[in-house]
Amino acid sequence: MSPPLLSVRDLRVGFATEGGLVQAVDGASFELAAGEVLAIVGESGSGKSVTAETIMGLTRGPNTRTEGSIALDGRELLDAGEEELRQVRGARIAMIFQNPMTSFNPVYRIGAQVVEAIRAHRPQVGREEAREHAVGLLDAVGIPDPERRVDRYPHEFSGGMRQRAMIAMGLALEPEILIADEPTTALDVTIQAQILELLRRLNRERGLATILITHDFGVVAELADRVLVMHEGRIVERGSLDDVFYASKDPYTRKLLGSVVRLDRAAPLRPARREQPLLEVTDLVKHFPVRQGLLFDREVDRVRAVDGVSFSVAPGETLGLVGESGSGKSTLSRAVLQLLRPTSGSVRFGGREIAGLSRRQMQPLRAEMQLIFQDPYASLNPRKRVGQIVGEPLRLHGRASGADLRSQAGELLERVGLAPEHYNRYPHEFSGGQRQRIGIARALALRPKLIVADEPVSALDVSIRAQILALLSDLQEEFGLTYVFVAHDIGVVRQVSDRIAVMHEGRIVEQGPADQVCERPANAYTQTLLAAVPVPDPRESRARRSSSAS
Amino acid sequence: MDGRSPWYLAYRRLRHNRVALGFGALLAAIVVFVVAAPLWADHVAGTGPNATHTTERVEVDGEPREVVNREGEPVGPLWLGAGGKFFLGADGRLGRDEMVRLMYGGRTSLFIGVVAASITVLLATILGLLAGYYGGRIDGLIARALDVVWAFPVTLLGAALGLALATGGLGIGPLQISGESLWIPILIIGVVYTPYVTRPLRGQVLALREKEFVEAAVSQGSGPLRVMFGELLPNLLSTIIVFFAISVANTMLLESMLSFLGVGVQPPNTSWGTMIADGFELITSAPLLTVIPGAMLLLTVLSVNVFADGLRDALDPRAKLRLEAHAGKAEPEGTAI
Amino acid sequence: MAHFAIRRLAGMIAVLFAVSVLVFAIFNVIPSADPARQLAGRSANPQLIASITKEWGFDDPLPRQYLTMMENILTGKVVSYETRENVDERIVEGIPATFSLCIGAAVIWMFFGILFGYLSAVRAGGLLDRALTVVAVTGISIPVFWLAAILLNYLTYRLELFPSGSYVPLTESPLEWANHLILPWVTLAVIFVGFYSRVLRSNMLDAMNEDYVRTARAKGLSERRVMTRHVLRNSLVPIVTLFGLDFGALLGGAIVVEGIFNINGIGQYAYESLINLDLPPIMAITLFGAFFIVLFNALVDIAYAYLDPRVKLGETAQ
Repeated sequence: MSPPLLSVRDLRVGFATEGGLVQAVDGASFELAAGEVLAIVGESGSGKSVTAETIMGLTRGPNTRTEGSIALDGRELLDAGEEELRQVRGARIAMIFQNPMTSFNPVYRIGAQVVEAIRAHRPQVGREEAREHAVGLLDAVGIPDPERRVDRYPHEFSGGMRQRAMIAMGLALEPEILIADEPTTALDVTIQAQILELLRRLNRERGLATILITHDFGVVAELADRVLVMHEGRIVERGSLDDVFYASKDPYTRKLLGSVVRLDRAAPLRPARREQPLLEVTDLVKHFPVRQGLLFDREVDRVRAVDGVSFSVAPGETLGLVGESGSGKSTLSRAVLQLLRPTSGSVRFGGREIAGLSRRQMQPLRAEMQLIFQDPYASLNPRKRVGQIVGEPLRLHGRASGADLRSQAGELLERVGLAPEHYNRYPHEFSGGQRQRIGIARALALRPKLIVADEPVSALDVSIRAQILALLSDLQEEFGLTYVFVAHDIGVVRQVSDRIAVMHEGRIVEQGPADQVCERPANAYTQTLLAAVPVPDPRESRARRSSSAS
Repeated sequence: MDGRSPWYLAYRRLRHNRVALGFGALLAAIVVFVVAAPLWADHVAGTGPNATHTTERVEVDGEPREVVNREGEPVGPLWLGAGGKFFLGADGRLGRDEMVRLMYGGRTSLFIGVVAASITVLLATILGLLAGYYGGRIDGLIARALDVVWAFPVTLLGAALGLALATGGLGIGPLQISGESLWIPILIIGVVYTPYVTRPLRGQVLALREKEFVEAAVSQGSGPLRVMFGELLPNLLSTIIVFFAISVANTMLLESMLSFLGVGVQPPNTSWGTMIADGFELITSAPLLTVIPGAMLLLTVLSVNVFADGLRDALDPRAKLRLEAHAGKAEPEGTAI
Repeated sequence: MAHFAIRRLAGMIAVLFAVSVLVFAIFNVIPSADPARQLAGRSANPQLIASITKEWGFDDPLPRQYLTMMENILTGKVVSYETRENVDERIVEGIPATFSLCIGAAVIWMFFGILFGYLSAVRAGGLLDRALTVVAVTGISIPVFWLAAILLNYLTYRLELFPSGSYVPLTESPLEWANHLILPWVTLAVIFVGFYSRVLRSNMLDAMNEDYVRTARAKGLSERRVMTRHVLRNSLVPIVTLFGLDFGALLGGAIVVEGIFNINGIGQYAYESLINLDLPPIMAITLFGAFFIVLFNALVDIAYAYLDPRVKLGETAQ
């Protein structure tokens, strides 16, 4: 048995903050063998990212308290000097991060930044030679036309391409370990599949040991050899991939695995409705003009965000709207609700045409259609108390005031699972999941007929997602709500939808009952989309890969 | 159960900032100092800020001294030698009590500074909200208007307006303001600084407008006024407060510069700026007449600036007006040269 | 690029036009007093007032008056009734002195401003940072004209460390030129050093939290390289645009500094004219100053597009 490449013992990392000492990592021990892929899974606050950054020495600072040991090939890293650490970073251990949009310096060309990495460790390498090497790296990660792309700026690359470039830069000095911190979280699912394939290939071909930090069990099942599960700074489960997925002993891990949304397991469908649709959208178009000109702006082009969309939603049903970034789904939901004026097309709500109505005409109708937002941190006004936020719609439409308003707001809070006594608290005093509940309470206040939920669980932890989805389902039963559920994650959409519409580049390419779309997709794009979704089940995942390889 | 509002958290942070609190206390002391002007004038110095004493004598430790001697040189600081009269000496050929003038001058300077800053911030908030919320043509119109004012060299604009209005006064319809009134420099300075504050405020409105809670308000049926004042404004308040403090510092500096050039505060009113102008004529023989009012101004502006920094750190500890980095000008210039 | 240039040019002309109309309004329309009398200044007498009225067309309708004013200024016909000099000529004569003052001060303030800001940011929270912050905040709180008067009195008159007397052209004697300008340079630079060091410090502290800085460290760059090639480089972009705007504004003449230190540039001309209530030069100098501000505004936008590749030409630096 060869000694482990990386050995972490009793790692403790704490940060001194305004509110006291925050213990991010509370005694973590594990090993990484050469050439293996180790996944560290956990929710936000589990300490997984801090662990990874501490290995790289990126958490060093005046407010950081670190104890324990991190040894690379026997050499201790925690108390290594700055210069020693600098030589390890990039050359022996490389790290790529979550957000490719901001991980590159926007003012330097991609090639220059790769060259910089090379020459920081091998100053004797000439610029020309380094540039050639950079071109080769870009090619190795699958970036087309690398000779020209190498001289482009980061903002000229798409998200997926940028992440590939990041990986290329990480490989520049042929490190032994690659740490990937949520490398695909910010990417579309189809791009994610490509990046995971790339990482798998690099691991196999180069024997590159990889530490994969993620919250997504599907990604884990695709890539990992061994798995660690972290919770509140501690490792609560460890083992081989199959052991953790199928034979976990830890209750937290089992709870997590249980709440993972799986594409291939859906709730039983409700019977199809035949009534008059509540919402009927026909040939809806929303274009944004691009203006340019010499002295006066003329329209030179248009962005065709929504390019002729038709669908309908029956009362009481849930329509799932799936699409990747840029598909137009957010624009569509805004255009349907008349928060954006449609360029053309018809929207009938309850039989009445609402497309193109003025703000004043729409005002009374607003009570019947509400919106739930994605970002629990930006969707609540930080300067208002939550009771105020929830009660505002009631006050706006003159439904209640004074003490009655307060009591109704309190009831709403209770209905979504919060304590009515928290009426006077401010948003920043709640967790992400709780804030999302407040947003739901707000949307519910006017007893609307239709609720459009725009990525309502995307920003939440896995275990919270299940709770919120359950809440939404209960509320639908109790209040007879109709939902349009917009999301990029088709697994989540399938959980809650009766019917699904798939959107791509401004058009709906397929729609129908949920299980038909998910199990027997007719459209090529839908098929690609479904194939790209990682299955949180190692056996299935392996089966899929071998059947597509043969 | 009452929640902890962001304001309360800011207050707590400010409480820990001893430097800011120290200078805040200094500022408060200066305000008390100038507010006490009539008390000093009546009970200690026995004279007003404009009363001349050219040919008089004052008793210092039993000995009579001329307030202004035959060569026209004023008496230097007597401190308490004459019971507080001419504490800081006389201010030149006219023989006025420098200490009394310092206190009354301070009242003028502070008054103009605060009121002008209020006007600036008020105008900037309204313009910034309108431009940022509506965008499109309204924004374009406001931006053009600001560009034009911005194109003027600040001092020249203030001076030009000061010149034009100081003699004839201002008459708009039923509103008549005499050329000697303090309101002339107040209005001029308040308006001149508006573009410098409007731009960053507008930027912040633009950023806030994209936030989902604003969209939520609109989707509930809130009209523009409700959104601007109910959603946007509360989130702008901390920026407005900091800008107000910074503006006070800058308006005081601009007022003193304009008064120094003779196109700001007009006699019989006096401000620290006019005192420095008066003192400058005798700078070689009686430098204290220049040093003292300038030092008071410096101390006051410094206190305001340090306190403003403390406010900024308390209200928004992380962002540090991120706009500074991306907008052209976030801090209005105290650099009216 | 040509597109942008034409648009910008049209925009500049529009703004300058609006400025000139505003100047016209301020001097000839707003005051309740007779504009001819105001122009005549202190040497007003009935014949002078009558001839001014004719020359400037004050009996004509307003639009005609405006055109006459612009014509007078742009063709160099404006004469100060106080000093009997040709205004435009005297402005042009003042350019070397004003430019010398501005450029020298700019070099000093940029050097020290960036140095102090950088040191402050790199050692944020430490003793040096606090000391430099004190210097910076004091710098922006000092009334410039007062500082000029104090330095003039104590360093030039009393201690005779610097020569008094007016500007010496560079071509005459570089040493004397610099000697006469050191105190004015320092006076002018003090405020800007304070302001710029604070802005740079703040920008750098923000930049240090950016993702790309973490990437730079993760790939093994030395701390020095991370600070200079990534943090500083990105933080300098807004500094450059601020500098362009400030410098442009200064080229119209630093009124009090030139006035107090007796540097016969455009600023001193404005200083004298203000003291003498002499209007024609003030009008012309205002337009002159506005021209430079607008020009540098446009230059700054171009520079911004060079410095930040994400910005396309046509987007303003604001």
